[in-house]
Formats: sequence, C-alpha cells, structure tokens
Amino acid sequence: MSVSPRDVQHVARLAELAVDDADLPALTAQMDRIVSFVAQLSELGDLDGVASYLAGPERTPLREDVVRPAELARTPAAIAPEFVDGFFVVPKIGAMEES
Amino acid sequence: MSVRAAALETGGRLAEADRKGLNAVLAWSPEALDREAARVDALPAKGLLHGIPVALKDNIVTTEQPSTCGSRILEGYVSPFNATVVDRLRAAGAMVACKSNLDEFAMGSSTEHSAYGRVRHPMDPERVPGGSSGGSAALVASGVVPMALGSETGGSVRQPASFCGVVGVKPTYGRVSRYGLVAFGSSLDCISTFGRTVAEAERLLAVISGPDPRDATTVERPPLEPVPAPASLAGVTIGLPREYFPDDLDPGVRAACRRAIDRMKELGAAIVEVALPHSRYAVPTYYIIAPAEAAANLARFDGARYGARKSVDGDVRALYRATRGQGFGAEVRRRILVGTYVLSAGYHDAYYNRAQAARMRIVEDFTGAFASGVDLLFTPTCPTPAFKAGEKTSDPVAMYLADIFVCPASLAGVPAMSLPIGRSEGLPVGGQLIAPYFQEARMLSVAGTLERHLDAAAEVR
Repeated sequence: MSVSPRDVQHVARLAELAVDDADLPALTAQMDRIVSFVAQLSELGDLDGVASYLAGPERTPLREDVVRPAELARTPAAIAPEFVDGFFVVPKIGAMEES
Repeated sequence: MSVRAAALETGGRLAEADRKGLNAVLAWSPEALDREAARVDALPAKGLLHGIPVALKDNIVTTEQPSTCGSRILEGYVSPFNATVVDRLRAAGAMVACKSNLDEFAMGSSTEHSAYGRVRHPMDPERVPGGSSGGSAALVASGVVPMALGSETGGSVRQPASFCGVVGVKPTYGRVSRYGLVAFGSSLDCISTFGRTVAEAERLLAVISGPDPRDATTVERPPLEPVPAPASLAGVTIGLPREYFPDDLDPGVRAACRRAIDRMKELGAAIVEVALPHSRYAVPTYYIIAPAEAAANLARFDGARYGARKSVDGDVRALYRATRGQGFGAEVRRRILVGTYVLSAGYHDAYYNRAQAARMRIVEDFTGAFASGVDLLFTPTCPTPAFKAGEKTSDPVAMYLADIFVCPASLAGVPAMSLPIGRSEGLPVGGQLIAPYFQEARMLSVAGTLERHLDAAAEVR
C-alpha cells in the first residue's frame, strides 16, 4: 500500500480538513486505490523536456489592469453578518487573535 | 403561446417532475417564473431565446435563487451577482426556470454525490442520469425544459447527455465566460449546453458564447454563428480513433456507433481510422490535474470567506477543519485530499508535473490527427449506457472510468459533443464528435445532418 493512514492525516492537515478516526481506514484504502491508479503515468517513460501545458488554444493575453465596478444585487452590508464603516466584522477567532 | 402561459406550463412540468421524484431540481417557484415572464414581456425586442425556459446547473450563480453547488457547505447561499451566461440568456429573452441538481461541486459521473439526494434517470429510476450535470440532462430528457446549461470539467455534460438521450455540447475552452461559474478545475472548466436537438443546443451556445471582460480566459472571438446542416457530408473526413473502440466496448454501444458510422458514410463522408495513443492516459492524468486544481479552488470554503461556519472551540484552524470536514461530502473530501497529496512536497514531480507532460502528449495526439486531414473525430461518448445507482459508488476508480472517452477532449480544450445515436435494451446511447479548436459550427452542422438521418429512438443490435 503506497498511502498510509499517516499520509492521509498529514494531507488532511495541509488541506484544513477534519477526518474522523472512524473514516480513516476506508479513506486510506480509497486514496491508495486512486493514487495507485494515477501512478500508471510512470509507463510514459522519460517526459523531461515536454513543454508545460498552458490552458486554452490561445494563450491568455496580458490585459490592462483596470478596476471595473462590480454591480451587486445586494450591498456588502446586506450580505455580511456585520459590516461597519466599510469593514467586514468577523467573530473573534481563538488563537489567531491571541497570536 | 404567450410568455406567461409558457411560464405557467413550465411550472406545471416542474411540479410534476417533483411529484415523480426525479429530484433534478434544487430551486424553483411559480412566483419566480412569473417574474421571469413579466421581465421577458417587457424586453424591447424578441431575442433568440424569447420565452424559452432554461434550467441552470446549480454551480452557476444567480441573484434570484440560492446557488448551493449541491453542497451542504453552501446551503442557502445567494450570490450578489449573476453569472455572465445568465445575463446573456436573459437578454436573449430566456426565462431562468430553475436551478438543477448536480454532483457536489460538479465532482462525479452519476449525480449520486449531491448533498440533496441523487437524481433519477428519467427512463429508469433505478439508474443514474450520468453526471455531474445530471439534473440538467434529466430535465431536458423528460421534457420539463427544452434547454439547460451544465458545466464540464471532464465530460460532465457529454456523459449525462449520452445517458439521457439528449444533445450536449462542450465548446472550446475559453469560448464561454466562466464569470459566475463556481470554479472546480480552472484549466478545464467550460459552461456547456444541453438541448433536445442539435439546433437547440447550438442556439443556446450561440447566445452565451463570446468574450467577456470579466473573465480573462475568454478568447477574443465573436459569438458562435450557427451554420445550417448540409444535405450531405461529401467532403467531410471523419476519423475513428481505434483506442475508443476497445474489445470490451458494450455491444449495444458498438452497434449504435457502427450504424452511425455507416450512415455518415452513406451521406458521403470519408471514414478513416486514426490513433490517439495517449488517450488511454487521460483518466489518470485528469484525476491528478482536476483534484489538484480543486484543492486550490475549494480552499475558499472555510467558514470565514465562504461556507456555513461551524462553531467550535479552538483556534481558527479548528474552525476551518470543522467547517470543511462537516460541510463537504465524501467525494469532494477525497478529491481535495488527493489534490493536496499530488501537490505536496516529495510528490509534486512524480504526479503533478508528470500529468502536465502527459496532458501535452494528449493535446499533441489531437492536433496531429486534425493536421493529418481529419475534420472531425467520432467515438462512443461512454463505454456503456446508463448504469444502475450504487453500482460504482464503492469504487471511485470504477466511477472515474465512466468518463474514459470524454476526458481527453476536456484535457485538450477542444470542442466536443454528444448526440443520441440509438438505444440499447431501451437505454439511450450517445455518439461523440470532437473538432479542432473553434470548429464548433462545423461540428454542429455535421451533427445536425447525422441527426436528421438517424432514428435515435430505434433499438440497435
């Protein structure tokens, strides 16, 4: 098996995703199945020097950086839980506030 | 028929679909339809889609209805702006009929991965309609709406179109604005169209295509100009990629393809065999690139920027983890984890960089085939007709392989479509046409000719 429960816990931490211990064995098996499946690209041999893929048939051109107004159906004050003096007010969040 | 009468009838069909348990719709109301009819009546001129009700996949944002992406994490979310495609549809006189069900964040091939329950196949409720745009496909197939929008990342319109027996068209990457499409895989995502006929799917694409200053990836080309379907296919060369007709292809799918190929030949097309040798690597390539991009795009759903916040004791990371862990369903969690894995230090070269190189090989296969004188490629859209619900949910890789014939065109960014070409044991079978970049009009005109000369409702053996 190429993916271990520890690997799953590690990437879950990187991805900021809670994984229940009870789900870990099945998730590890599924991840291993997927990673083993995609590893078949190793059959393609040496791919050094192959140009990098850039999305789209016509490369995205550089454009002037112009600020455009976004017309919103509702104002930020109507969308946000709290909006005061042009600022979004968010709840105080644990360690971030203290650090 | 007046627009208001059309709105009323659409409401009746939506209510009937609800009663039958199709589960294809996430949001609609008679009041909203009535408002849409009044708005269309007030337009100064009749547009291309005057009074036509159109369903929108629920990852296309609207200000009038919630946009959930089929996820609990966005339950009740209402966008403060409309997607560009919505503005264009409405300007052309269309009515937004409803928001349609989908695999959560468009990740799936069966529409079984919606937090709001699976969508039933319109002809057999035990089967799936395909996915991820299964709600839109089912609504068109069951006659609730004549047209619908879906989105493709790796075949999510062509595959359900094939399963449900309707037409699905994916344009060239960059042909249609994605402003207001909730991002999944940004190098792949394309808003795409469904119709009962080739002409309807084409008309919808003509309305929504064209550059958009709000989406820097749209190409500076004018909107699609539909071309009438020719009487014959003389002068057209159709390539059959041998890798798309494997020995284990479903016999009914093979027979339907054979009949369609024979019909194109009778209509004057030259048929040649071609090779796309790297297409066999398309699914593994896709399942590295798409999850990697998804892991980045879905980082914003953390309870602070987007998403229904879960209150927890602890620091901000505990809040993120709880919000995301509880808000995302199993398939989305799996893809975020796989995407994070293939991008992580130590694995990036072996997986992500390798997949990018494999993707170039797939692109080169297509450009090589078209450069050899082939106008269009023809393949089956899917290896089988619609499968039964639950048949593939325990094995993610088996589910991924349902997209084996549709993934390559998505990776290459070329236009492709599915049209019904017959039935196998009562279930629809789709044939796929793939075209060079920006050759949608030619692809659709050939499809229109084939459609006219093929009884797609006939059982083929």
